[in-house]
Amino acid sequence: MSKMFRKSVLTVASVGLAAGVLAGCSSEAEETGSAEEFEGTITIWDGPRWPDKDDNKFHWLEQKIAEYEEANEGIEIEMVQVPWAEMGDKLGVAIAGKGWPDIAPVDISGSAVSIDHIEQGVVEPLDAYIDDEAKKDFYENALDAYTYDGKLYGIPNSITLHTMLLNLDLFEEAGVTPPENGKWTYDEFLSAAKELTFDRDDDGKTDVYGFSTYIMPGYYEAWPFFYKNGGSPLNEDMTEFTFDDPETVQAIQDLADLKLTENAAPETHGGNDVGGTFQAWANEEQRTVAMQPWATWAIGAAQGAYPTNFMVAEYPAGDAEEAKTIGGVGGWTMFHQDGDANKKAAVADFMQFISTTDEQVTMAQNYGVFPARISAAEKDPFAENPEMARAMEMSEQVVMLPRHPEWRKIDEAIQTELQLVFNGEKTAEQAMADAKVVVDGLLE
Amino acid sequence: MTQVPMGAVPKKGEEKLKIRKRSNQSIWKQMKKNYAAYLFLLPKLVLFTLFVAIPVLWAFVLSFQEYKIFGSEFAGLQNYITVFQSAAFMAALKNTLLFTIVTVPFGVITALIGASMIFALGKVSQSFFRSAFYLPTVTSMVIIAMVWRWMYNYDFGLFNYILGWFGVDPINWLGQSSTALWALIIMQCLIPFGVGIIMYLASMGSISNALYEAAKIDGAGSLKQWWHITVPLLKPTTLYLVLLSTIGSFQVFTQIIMMTGGGPGNATETLVHLIYKTGFRDFEFGLAAAQSVVLFVIILIFSVIQFRVLRHDE
Repeated sequence: MSKMFRKSVLTVASVGLAAGVLAGCSSEAEETGSAEEFEGTITIWDGPRWPDKDDNKFHWLEQKIAEYEEANEGIEIEMVQVPWAEMGDKLGVAIAGKGWPDIAPVDISGSAVSIDHIEQGVVEPLDAYIDDEAKKDFYENALDAYTYDGKLYGIPNSITLHTMLLNLDLFEEAGVTPPENGKWTYDEFLSAAKELTFDRDDDGKTDVYGFSTYIMPGYYEAWPFFYKNGGSPLNEDMTEFTFDDPETVQAIQDLADLKLTENAAPETHGGNDVGGTFQAWANEEQRTVAMQPWATWAIGAAQGAYPTNFMVAEYPAGDAEEAKTIGGVGGWTMFHQDGDANKKAAVADFMQFISTTDEQVTMAQNYGVFPARISAAEKDPFAENPEMARAMEMSEQVVMLPRHPEWRKIDEAIQTELQLVFNGEKTAEQAMADAKVVVDGLLE
Repeated sequence: MTQVPMGAVPKKGEEKLKIRKRSNQSIWKQMKKNYAAYLFLLPKLVLFTLFVAIPVLWAFVLSFQEYKIFGSEFAGLQNYITVFQSAAFMAALKNTLLFTIVTVPFGVITALIGASMIFALGKVSQSFFRSAFYLPTVTSMVIIAMVWRWMYNYDFGLFNYILGWFGVDPINWLGQSSTALWALIIMQCLIPFGVGIIMYLASMGSISNALYEAAKIDGAGSLKQWWHITVPLLKPTTLYLVLLSTIGSFQVFTQIIMMTGGGPGNATETLVHLIYKTGFRDFEFGLAAAQSVVLFVIILIFSVIQFRVLRHDE
């Protein structure tokens, strides 16, 4: 993109912005500032994405930074490379020390940044920079994920969801027919899981199990199973714990019983070993589990680093007769800025620069996420990737987790009890009754 | 000049004597006289003040506040009340106490026995074992935890593989409440206490040979010599090592975050892991600071008790 073009985009954006805020008061217009007038450094944190030929997983953002700096003299963008596994902790420490970056890729309902931070002013609202017309290009649930108290606190750049991944080689070996169009009931799933559990070499030991997953605070691969009978962790106005209703208790017990009574899941089912669980499904040396639920990144992994003959299926439908899945939204967040309105405008401008329709298409095709922009989805980024296209169809089944300020504690209270159900120390009924005591206390 | 073993505690009479001597000269005069020593100490003192003393004091202040990013509010004793009413804190305290009570004596006793066996060897063998036992001390606990996580793996871990030789069913070491904490305790016990061995060896070298020769003349065997001469004379070192490893055990963290995350349930939750979660997951820094102060007091109480029980009296 030429420098002149970038300048003109900035100018148009600034004029548009000015026009947009004319309806408001003049002081608000002053506060919005002008990106063109800013000179200085913007700091952005990002995690590794897809590799280039030199195995550089930060090349996409490096390229975007170079383009932006060339088009905007006087603005320097400093990227800090942070492994995804450390992003939450590092941001937590940075927030505690008021040493946050200007921009970071976080979900405001995630573990690093919470609604409590928004209430304290750590995250900047972006409504002054993204007008209603621009918002129309984003999926509603993507915008909802970054909206709190009527204000937008981030630019959504991707949507992820969880799907079931089925190893078709193991289905064939066990003589099991995969679900037609990836749709099935829980009974059909259970029957398949049992048939997929077999002793390959007749040595009296099970070599392949039908299903496995893991349970850990902050991870939700197993949770769509708990929603299958129509349940949810909290009631609609988030005043009461509802995972203890009989339907949900049954759904939880069903999934634990895959190991405890049906012997269709390994001993590690419901443990806390994320890497080990994935290796059991994906690693060519292992392949000891036929079906596992994962977020969409695993589709890319199964097509790349861990080549597997697989298909994407929906979570099985239970009594509610509709399959459900848990979704998540990724995006860019602006952290608190001290007074400099021009810098704010420049930060917002760069955030938009890396969140355009084209960038979201690039991200979708290379990084295994779904675009948050409708216009990007309309460009059919998965025309040559039927598994991702199949997963994208499931976005209609997405339910979001409750957005409660105490969610992290609520989540831990539930997940630690779930661990005890899956290792057979408590029944689902006991565990959820115990979780209710803690969660209702937090909700008060 | 009498060689005092490392970690030796001055006798009561000596303490009084020194205090009296100090009172005769003003501190300022002493500082002027020994200015070179104070200059050498200055960098360390500055670093200690910046990175230890001020944060500790700040944590104490913070423990009386409800922490907010932009302007905390005074909360009185509320954080402390929350700490003592918290079931999670009590569970973490119980787990940490069990961890400490088992691992500290085991670590110190095995270090003493190990050092005694090594001390009896020739110089080359001594050097070899000294290095071998010290190696785990310079290895990152993260690496050690990863290796042990693999050893505890249900499907292909070393322990279940060995159990399989004896026809014993595999154990879900880290996945069951009944075994998870013990698995971490076993791990801690089986990592050689390198610092302990090195310090015991150093202290053993300062015990006068005349004592052993006298004991031999009196007809004492090796075991009796060890029990009646070596062990009592190593008491100051033992006190130091017990204090050091108690503080370390109360602060157990890396193994927990790397291997169990405190689970299953709260089976392996420990105090420092809980403090970490309260601070950096829940962002309740006031409460985390109060938990830290309570932990500090617990360690202080344990240290005073150990100091009184094990101190080197006449």
